[in-house]
Amino acid sequence: MSENKFSVIGKPQIKVDGTELVTGSAIFAGDLRFPGMLYGYAARAGVPAGKLKSVDVSKAVAVEGVVDVITSENIGGPNLMGIMPPFDQPVIAKGEIRYAGETIAFVVAESKRIAKKAALLVEADIEAYEPVLTVEEALADGARKIHPDGNVTFTRKLIKGDTAKGFEEADLILEDDFETSFQEHAYIEPEAVCVVPSGDNRLTVYASCQSPYHLRGQIAANIGLPMSKIKVIQAYTGGSFGGKDDVAAEIGILAGVAALRSGKPVMVAHDREESIIGSNFRHAIKIHYKTGLKNDGTITAREVKLLLDGGAYASESPFVVMKALIHAAGPYKIPNVFVESTAVYTNKTYAGAFRGFGVPQVTFAAESQLQEAADRLGLDALAIRRKNALRPGDATATSQVLNESVGIVQTIDAVGKRAAEIAAGSEDEADEQYLYGTGYASLIQGISNGAEGIDVVGASVQMSQDGSVLVGTGLTELGQGSRTVFAQIAAEVLGVPLDRVTARLVDTDSVHDSGATVASRATTTGGMAVFKAATEVKSSLLQMAALMFKTEAENIVLKEGFAVLVFDETARIPIPDVATAAYWTGFPLMNMAFSKAPDADYDHDTHQGKIYIAYNFGTHMMKIRVEKSTGKVEVLSHIASHDVGKVINPLGLTGQVEGASLIGYGLGHMEKIEYENGIIRNPNFADYAVPTIMDRIPTEVISVEEFNSTGPFGAKGVGEPPVAGATASFVNAISDAVGIRFRKIPVTRQDIMLALRNRGNQEE
Amino acid sequence: MEYYKPKTAGEAVSLKTDSRMYIAGGTDLGVLLSEFMVQPEALIDLTGIDELCGVFKVDEGVAIGACTGISLIAESELLPACLVEGAKAIGSPQIRNMATIGGNICNASPCGDTLTPLVVLEAVFIIEGDSGERRVKIEDFFIGPKRTCMSPEEILKIIIIPSRSPDQKSGFRMIGKRNGQAISQVNAAVSAVITGGIIKDIRIAAGSVAPVPLRLKKTEDVVRGKALGSNFLERMKDTAEQEVSPISDVRAAEEYRRKVAGSLLESIFRAMRKEAV
Amino acid sequence: MEISFICNGRKRMAAISGETRALDLLREDLNLTGTKEGCGKGECGACTILLDGKPVSSCLLPAAKLDGRNVLTIEGLKGDGGKLHPIQQAFLDSGAVQCGFCTPGMILSTKALLDNNPAPSVSEVEVALSGNICRCTGYGKIVEAVLLAAERLQVKI
Ligand SMILES: Cc1cc2nc3c(=O)[nH]c(=O)nc-3n(C[C@H](O)[C@H](O)[C@H](O)COP(=O)(O)OP(=O)(O)OC[C@H]3O[C@@H](n4cnc5c(N)ncnc54)[C@H](O)[C@@H]3O)c2cc1C
Ligand code: FES
Ligand code: FES
Repeated sequence: MSENKFSVIGKPQIKVDGTELVTGSAIFAGDLRFPGMLYGYAARAGVPAGKLKSVDVSKAVAVEGVVDVITSENIGGPNLMGIMPPFDQPVIAKGEIRYAGETIAFVVAESKRIAKKAALLVEADIEAYEPVLTVEEALADGARKIHPDGNVTFTRKLIKGDTAKGFEEADLILEDDFETSFQEHAYIEPEAVCVVPSGDNRLTVYASCQSPYHLRGQIAANIGLPMSKIKVIQAYTGGSFGGKDDVAAEIGILAGVAALRSGKPVMVAHDREESIIGSNFRHAIKIHYKTGLKNDGTITAREVKLLLDGGAYASESPFVVMKALIHAAGPYKIPNVFVESTAVYTNKTYAGAFRGFGVPQVTFAAESQLQEAADRLGLDALAIRRKNALRPGDATATSQVLNESVGIVQTIDAVGKRAAEIAAGSEDEADEQYLYGTGYASLIQGISNGAEGIDVVGASVQMSQDGSVLVGTGLTELGQGSRTVFAQIAAEVLGVPLDRVTARLVDTDSVHDSGATVASRATTTGGMAVFKAATEVKSSLLQMAALMFKTEAENIVLKEGFAVLVFDETARIPIPDVATAAYWTGFPLMNMAFSKAPDADYDHDTHQGKIYIAYNFGTHMMKIRVEKSTGKVEVLSHIASHDVGKVINPLGLTGQVEGASLIGYGLGHMEKIEYENGIIRNPNFADYAVPTIMDRIPTEVISVEEFNSTGPFGAKGVGEPPVAGATASFVNAISDAVGIRFRKIPVTRQDIMLALRNRGNQEE
Repeated sequence: MEYYKPKTAGEAVSLKTDSRMYIAGGTDLGVLLSEFMVQPEALIDLTGIDELCGVFKVDEGVAIGACTGISLIAESELLPACLVEGAKAIGSPQIRNMATIGGNICNASPCGDTLTPLVVLEAVFIIEGDSGERRVKIEDFFIGPKRTCMSPEEILKIIIIPSRSPDQKSGFRMIGKRNGQAISQVNAAVSAVITGGIIKDIRIAAGSVAPVPLRLKKTEDVVRGKALGSNFLERMKDTAEQEVSPISDVRAAEEYRRKVAGSLLESIFRAMRKEAV
Repeated sequence: MEISFICNGRKRMAAISGETRALDLLREDLNLTGTKEGCGKGECGACTILLDGKPVSSCLLPAAKLDGRNVLTIEGLKGDGGKLHPIQQAFLDSGAVQCGFCTPGMILSTKALLDNNPAPSVSEVEVALSGNICRCTGYGKIVEAVLLAAERLQVKI
């Protein structure tokens, strides 16, 4: 890491919102209490597909304590939601059932328990259809159409060069099918919102959510109020990882309708089972990869076909289609690339955004195949990656030329160096009980909304006369530490200690619509907005200090809580004094900034052009051992190296990488939503296996800092990329240990042990 | 809803009606209650009954009160290793601090982690009901998944672990989808009397491989009389794989259950060998 | 029925029904919302409280079982002189808190562990916290926090 010339940036900082979290005083949405508050609970379809003929709520209404039962007729607006076109999801099902977790009525009662009990009494007359359960069934000729326009949600192509020619040049061509499963976000706080009618004829929505502005828009549209009548305040949010967007809007709308009808505050707090069956997953994808290579490992061409199971509704499938498409070639310079990516409707819970957004799935397949190629060609795992890795000046699969912040080679070398140290210190590996293996994977992940549309963020920075600072942005704190990063940036710019800065939760009344907190963009574009706003306030302070010092503004710096004369460090005026003077002199001490990332500019038919403002690069190594008799896996070491541009908060950054890596490990090894005839069989934490502390992996983080001019202080986000690295390196490690290539994830204990046994039988 | 806290087993039985349910730790019942899967009018809490709590030495062996907490079983020095290990494998510290052994038995789940150990220890249950007390051998107790031979008003009072030769060794293993807080895809227990390196007496059982915890008598036949260090593991595993009759479900595939049952048993015997050296 | 118990050092009385969960009594009646509900089925540990010093899942615990017992929730955990408890401080210093939803339960499980075992090994820490799921941190920093807290608490004694 470079020498640090900053005072707050780059130093480990304790979370600015930490104290309330360790004392239990932070108020999450489900913790709110208002006089007269009512509770809502959804009655759900329970069958995956059918014609919804009628819904009988009479038994539910009759339950003592039930105040209201809302059906699709009671939704004032279009009864449609979704984050992007085609906006195809009803808030309450009408006419047709498309997945088993779909809401058919919404019970409002004096307690959650009463509402839940009454919801079980709602009866629906459903003429069941044969559910469409796989992408193949959905695309088959004559398949029943889940939506009027058919079963293809969205499809796109990426075309670069000439793959036919590329394959001709190849010495080795590999062609394989891969498959991934639905993964559940499993944030520990299930979704919750509380909608409160306020005295000023508006609604205040407190929500555990990722995108307060999405909520505002969708609630307004569906209850028929102008957006300006709705204020969404983000409550402390217990994790999101992409998941608290569609579903937060859904329960926000339901609670909003109920609050308007009753005139009372209405709370909806999901049970865990609802959070699993009724909110989106990571897409399960059927993946076909074909890669051509020369004998020296140079990749000459790659063709990829992706079929994403998007479940019953579009949600963010179109964006995930594009993100997977753009990243399918990996962090490599490949002259000829063809990718086709298609999302398909099925009668299952919808799939949408989840940390990584399609990249973990394609990275798993790409890096598996690349490893197999390396093995066949007798090339070293890191050498083949290094050989093909993008370098400054190279063009990506979208022909975007990257001139700066391309640290992939550095991450490969960092991992190589550390892996050698680890290997030198480890014991002889062969033994009777265990198989040992090492896996590598490299990845690329675009930062910012890029192809997914405009990327704007609002921020406000306000200095009070006492020199304390209040920072607000439109991007949410979800546990990833964005409030701390925003506070750090403001503190650095304004030269005040971090404890003089307060970064507040999002309130849609107060800053510009900033879209969703996605795509690892909080630090990058969000940080840039704070940087701009703080810089404006700084300018006021410098002008005031210049008057006080009777000099020019450029002779003054703000640091350590003082305005300091550059040529005489002892000449200092405390910032509170400067701020007070600035106020009484009439210099503005508040700024509302607006930051817009450069637009993506590409051809929509071929996806050639500039897509993301920056890319995070990474390389992972995982070393494991497998117990032969049971298939049990132990991760002995895991190195995650990422090019993050500039480390803003090392403590937050390592936490992000460790957390994302364990989610990637879960995706690769144990997490899988199990369907049987369209019904989820494991909607709980006993049978949907989220890693526990006894399943953790010993992640070691190595940061590479290749300056990124589009981010504050050169930074770029790292929230999502490690997921892909951990999944892919895990699968390569397992395949190395066992000597069998696994092409379907998760690769569970059961899969490993049975594969070993079957091979044993064949050998006999 | 009413909540009764009787002080004696007799009082508990007299409080019981069809619309009232017994509760011990509540870790199984609590889930059913919050999902409205059972809707009793009252709960009768058995954990305040002194005679049902604790682990004691008795003439026949060791007696365990049905309401003894799983955490206590997991720390007990009076109990055989397999039962202690089985208790440690249950849920999490929070669950073990609430759950009771009687609840694990009466819940009668095929994957219950104390059940396979109790089968190989040939536990005897003392049950009290309207018509007084009776004793039931564990092999007669379970009649199906979540079903036992007890009538609704009966309570399980005491679990007797008959004493064995001082040469008795026992072991337990389980496997789940993950390491922490895992539900057994399969578990297995062995109790053996090993004298002079020879396996004189042997009992083997596996859980989650049949509707009830399953005693593997054919597998026992393979092992009985063998020298502990001798070459019986492969045949033992093959026999066990044949003898179990698992199903596929959301937790595991039939084939995995079948094969891993053998692996778990093998691992128990290997540990016994190590210990013997 | 009427119950009385000690909660965070104070005597509390409550009128409850047989089906009332300890979690609801604490959150709804006593407004102690630091105890969280993550699953309602004993599978996540967010609702962990200490009952007579031992961690239990309050979502499965009938409130009736609190009668005559001693309860500690996160709100009752305090350090000397109004400061944070050393375990809370260690969680902050180690970066063991991200979204914070699992944190109250994690901290209480840690408290129970360190009260009984002031110098735990890494694997003892893992067993003690195996009932508390965290989806954000990957757990590495949580283990560090527990070991740091143990060290600081021992120095104090
Ligand atoms: C998150 C979680 C994880 C778990 N993990 C495991 C695991 O790994 N392994 C495992 O084996 N189990 C596991 N369980 C299940 C459960 O904890 C055990 O079965 C426990 O031992 C049940 O005991 P209890 O006292 O809580 O039973 P309760 O819930 O109180 O009772 C269970 C049933 O038995 C009846 N009953 C209880 N005691 C008596 C008695 N003395 N006489 C007559 N009837 C009685 C009750 O009426 C009820 O029907 C888990 C449960 C949870 C919630
Ligand atoms: S809420 Fe009690 S364990 Fe999850
Ligand atoms: S910090 Fe979010 S679940 Fe642990």
